[in-house]
Amino acid sequence: MDRHDTYDKRNRRLWIGLAAPGAIWLLVLFVAPFYVMLSVAGGGINEFFQTVVPVWNPLHWSSFNFSAVWRDIVGAGAYLGPPALRTLLYTAIATAISLAVAYPVAYFVSRYAGERKGLFLVLLIAPFWVSYMMRMLAWIDLLQQGGFFNSALSFLGLPGNTDWLGGKSVTVIMGLVYGYIPYLILVLYAYLDRIDQRLLEAARDLGLSKWRTFWSVLIPLSKPAIIAGCFITALPMVGDYFTNQLLSAAPGTTMLGNAIEGQLDAPGQTGQGAVLALMLLVVLLIPMVYYVISTARASREMA
Amino acid sequence: MHPREGWSEGGVRSGREPREDAVSRRQLLKAGAGLALGGMLAGCSSTNPAAGSGVPPLPRQDRPVKWPIYTDNKPIAAGMAPEEGATLQLYNWVAYINEAVIKSFCKKHNCKYSLTTYNTMEEALAKMASGKLKVDVFFPTVAVLGQLIAAKLIRPLNQSYIPNMANVWPDYRDPFYDQRSQYTTPYSIYTSGMAWRKDKVNLSPSWDMPWQGAKYSGKVAVLDDYRETISLALMRGGNFDLNTTNTPLIRAAGKSLQQLATLTNVRIDNNDYTDIPTGKAWIHHAWSGDMASSYQYLPKGTSIDTLGYWFPANRKGPVANDLMVNATGGANPVLAHKFINYMLDVDNALNNYSYVGYMQPLTEVTPARLTSEKLLPPQLASTVVLPDYFRRGLFQLELPPAADAVWESTWSSFSNGL
Repeated sequence: MDRHDTYDKRNRRLWIGLAAPGAIWLLVLFVAPFYVMLSVAGGGINEFFQTVVPVWNPLHWSSFNFSAVWRDIVGAGAYLGPPALRTLLYTAIATAISLAVAYPVAYFVSRYAGERKGLFLVLLIAPFWVSYMMRMLAWIDLLQQGGFFNSALSFLGLPGNTDWLGGKSVTVIMGLVYGYIPYLILVLYAYLDRIDQRLLEAARDLGLSKWRTFWSVLIPLSKPAIIAGCFITALPMVGDYFTNQLLSAAPGTTMLGNAIEGQLDAPGQTGQGAVLALMLLVVLLIPMVYYVISTARASREMA
Repeated sequence: MHPREGWSEGGVRSGREPREDAVSRRQLLKAGAGLALGGMLAGCSSTNPAAGSGVPPLPRQDRPVKWPIYTDNKPIAAGMAPEEGATLQLYNWVAYINEAVIKSFCKKHNCKYSLTTYNTMEEALAKMASGKLKVDVFFPTVAVLGQLIAAKLIRPLNQSYIPNMANVWPDYRDPFYDQRSQYTTPYSIYTSGMAWRKDKVNLSPSWDMPWQGAKYSGKVAVLDDYRETISLALMRGGNFDLNTTNTPLIRAAGKSLQQLATLTNVRIDNNDYTDIPTGKAWIHHAWSGDMASSYQYLPKGTSIDTLGYWFPANRKGPVANDLMVNATGGANPVLAHKFINYMLDVDNALNNYSYVGYMQPLTEVTPARLTSEKLLPPQLASTVVLPDYFRRGLFQLELPPAADAVWESTWSSFSNGL
């Protein structure tokens, strides 16, 4: 009895020990900042200096910032509608383009890269060696009038004097695709690589055309990866402000991330920025929950 | 409302910083904090009629303010020796001072220094107010001066330590925002005007220039700063009160900006100093100090002659200056005074200018001097601020809370593409 007890205790201690680094990490770098954000959103401002005063006790949180944001959404001077709509539109288009590009790439690497798979994987990860900001800054040079992108277009006989940086939605969408597509490829690759090749062969043997095999077998099999990959790329796109700022900066392409960033820097409005960020988080939770439920269902069906 | 907002150490501006350090005090009245502030300012012998009425005085060019000196926050005594073995604590905007100048000061006075930087005035105020930052010399904007004084975060200066005030433009010995310079000396001064590419744009510069730029769609940019850019639209409409509280006027300026967006797909950014030389923009609402160093970003083969900066000849345009003050938190008030004096020396100021691009209002810092010392190409001499600009130029100052809210919401509508 005694021995059993100590064994149990030791075992538990081991697991606690193993879980500790992750738990501490999550606590310090996610839960704590999140709580700070809540405390700022529900907090007040130092009326004298217009600086944020976080309120740590939830019982004393005020609704001031929440109602101010609500007025910005539906009130007389509401201005959050157009950026919200644009965010939705840009993210949807950019995600769709990403998927159309990423799926064939991931499929190719998982099925046909053969011995060079390692090389392709390295190439796919390579963009992460350079910081996101640097990559976007590089695009400013490439997209200039007289820059490489325009030269390449005119070489191909296309109009090569477009002012891509003059505040164009298409440039922002392209920037978003470029910035986040590696995540999608990697997720798709990891999943496609595990799909049993024999299932596809069986489908072909049983008389399905290549096309039907793709639509009726491969796509359904890779659905969880498609959903997961799209979320992983779309979520950061929704909160992105930097791409837009660097590649456009025109009012006509402002996204929610830019609106939040603007509020964080405005004296006395930091709390409202926090509220807006929290609201965005809540909205993004809906697809996240859907994702968790659908993957759980999928794994149950598989079992 | 500051050219250095959002800078990173490398001298690159990042992020979107649309609002200013000048304070939005919409909650001030609501929370009744105005009363508390009024109390703090009680006994203030201000010439500002607003003083004592529960609202802090808002200095204006035609309504100067003399700030109170509190019995528990007096200037230091004259004739003291600088602190020995000290580390001078400086708190400034990012990339807004030449460290070579600080180093030479420290060599002279056998001290060490530590330079801490901030990106927004709000951030600076928050850290100063928290009391955790022990600073000797601080470089605030005019807009926050009243708050700093009332909270006793800065100490009145003992001018006997600052003989170099004699180098400063005479107007700055008694500026409207701090009569008799009790608490401040000026740091840098700049104008807001119009920058353009002379080889690309065939228009004569004016406040209307961006609106005439329909054929340069995508190549027109305004500053990412609600006060500056709404002011631009106000001036274009012939309204030169840049601290107006007239709601219809402010709204009309906002409409005019929305019209500008339709006409030119205007961009909102503070990269005037790179956008114009690289050709990313051809017409850019700009700060003089930024444009003074813009030639350094010209690509090979593009002449300095292509760069233009305009500020109206009648001086009816935005002028602003920063301040040097002695913060109460620091342990080295004497050294702080000596440092402020050092920065007002002409050679040191020029050395600082060579790095910062923003000039100091010293009598000997003239366009001729700057160009002859090869600190500024003659083509950009229009970026130099002249003494009468201080009197005739338009200062964008702190607004009453209700009016500020109108300015901010007008900006939100424009900048979010409504």
